[in-house]
Amino acid sequence: MNSNIPVLKVENLKKSYAGKIILDGVNLEVDKGETKVILGPSGVGKSTLLRCINMLTLPDSGKIWLEGVELTEPNTDINKMRQKIGFVFQDFNLFHHLTVLKNVTIGLTKVKKIPEEEAIKIAASALEKVHIPNTLWNKYPAQISGGEKQRVAIARALAMKPSIMLYDEPTSALDPQLVGEVLQVIKELSTAGMTSLIVTHELHFALEVANELLFIYNGKIVEQGPPEEVFANPKHDIVKKYIASIYSRKG
Amino acid sequence: MPISVLLGIALGTARVYGNVIIRGIASAIVIAFRGFPVLVTLLLIFFGLSDFGIYVPPFWTAVIGFILCSGSYQSEYVRGAIRSIDIGQSLAARSIGMTKFQEVLYIILPQAVRRAFLGITNELIYLVQYSSLAFVVGVPEMFAVTKTFNSLYFRPVETFTTLAVVYLVMISVLVIFFRGIERRLAIPGIEITTK
Repeated sequence: MNSNIPVLKVENLKKSYAGKIILDGVNLEVDKGETKVILGPSGVGKSTLLRCINMLTLPDSGKIWLEGVELTEPNTDINKMRQKIGFVFQDFNLFHHLTVLKNVTIGLTKVKKIPEEEAIKIAASALEKVHIPNTLWNKYPAQISGGEKQRVAIARALAMKPSIMLYDEPTSALDPQLVGEVLQVIKELSTAGMTSLIVTHELHFALEVANELLFIYNGKIVEQGPPEEVFANPKHDIVKKYIASIYSRKG
Repeated sequence: MPISVLLGIALGTARVYGNVIIRGIASAIVIAFRGFPVLVTLLLIFFGLSDFGIYVPPFWTAVIGFILCSGSYQSEYVRGAIRSIDIGQSLAARSIGMTKFQEVLYIILPQAVRRAFLGITNELIYLVQYSSLAFVVGVPEMFAVTKTFNSLYFRPVETFTTLAVVYLVMISVLVIFFRGIERRLAIPGIEITTK
């Protein structure tokens, strides 16, 4: 594949709900191995943007390409393309009726039609990457902690061997003491070269992990650049206010 | 009994996920067979179809009638249970590339059927009770036999008490069986299993 093609390209993406504009022409690109972090106050369309990217929410207009294949083209087999887009939800959404291991293997056996035995090997390697010990493999989601659930959810996405991982506020539903273990895993994956697009409010984490920050406000990217630059010298008032508000909240 | 459950699952699922045509057909079946009294359904199958030259033997009339009726009731338990599954389950299934069909089959239904289970068992117990209606089309089931016995010897208290006890025993066996399944279906950490 041509290495000049970005893994993800979004062009002039628009979405409104009931007359309210949520995304008002978003453009972005993520290259192979890059990690970009999306920041912004609540309710400005960050989650909508991620969901539009894997078409769980259908955009009103605009185009999205994954490795050069246009997802927004009606003839594209979106189910096939979604296998290549790892998605991590704020509230985990593990399959309640399946064990930890089955949560990770089901996509492999049912969607990719990989034989059970091989699927378990792939799942084992994914679970190892997120530091889930095999003593938890036969537990059900209701029997493990929030941090463990989110790490299993990450493994479920990773096992599909995605070209990019999308994280939608992956630690917002967690108790403060469990946030660290999940961010650590995301950081390790990102450092190891996993192309990632992350929505988060964890500024320290953003600073450590991001190649570029994208700040969204009123449905548009209003500021973007290397994290050090954006933090040290935010151009827009709203970005200053946002950074200040997060820091004051954390004390 | 398993067929009525399967019909219930199929009808309930069709009414949630089917396209306009499938949903319409499933809804029509459910409206009809929940609307008609069971007795009338049986008579319609037995006498109604014979007008079109189709003769359904009494036993099969009863079987078909009960399946349609019971399945229609079952479908509403299943439909309600499907509706109660959190949208996140569906989003997660689609996010790993499942088709709608795979999502429903592997993720939604296994959870929905568990939620509908107690309602389903209730309906299956009714199904045993309905069987006493099969006599209208001439099936020699327990109720009909007991009535005949009673008209010969005229001992209503003894004969019907015996019948009641037989039904009670049958239902009790079923209840114990259902309890066993309920325990097997329980998801550790979520549902409280009866010790």
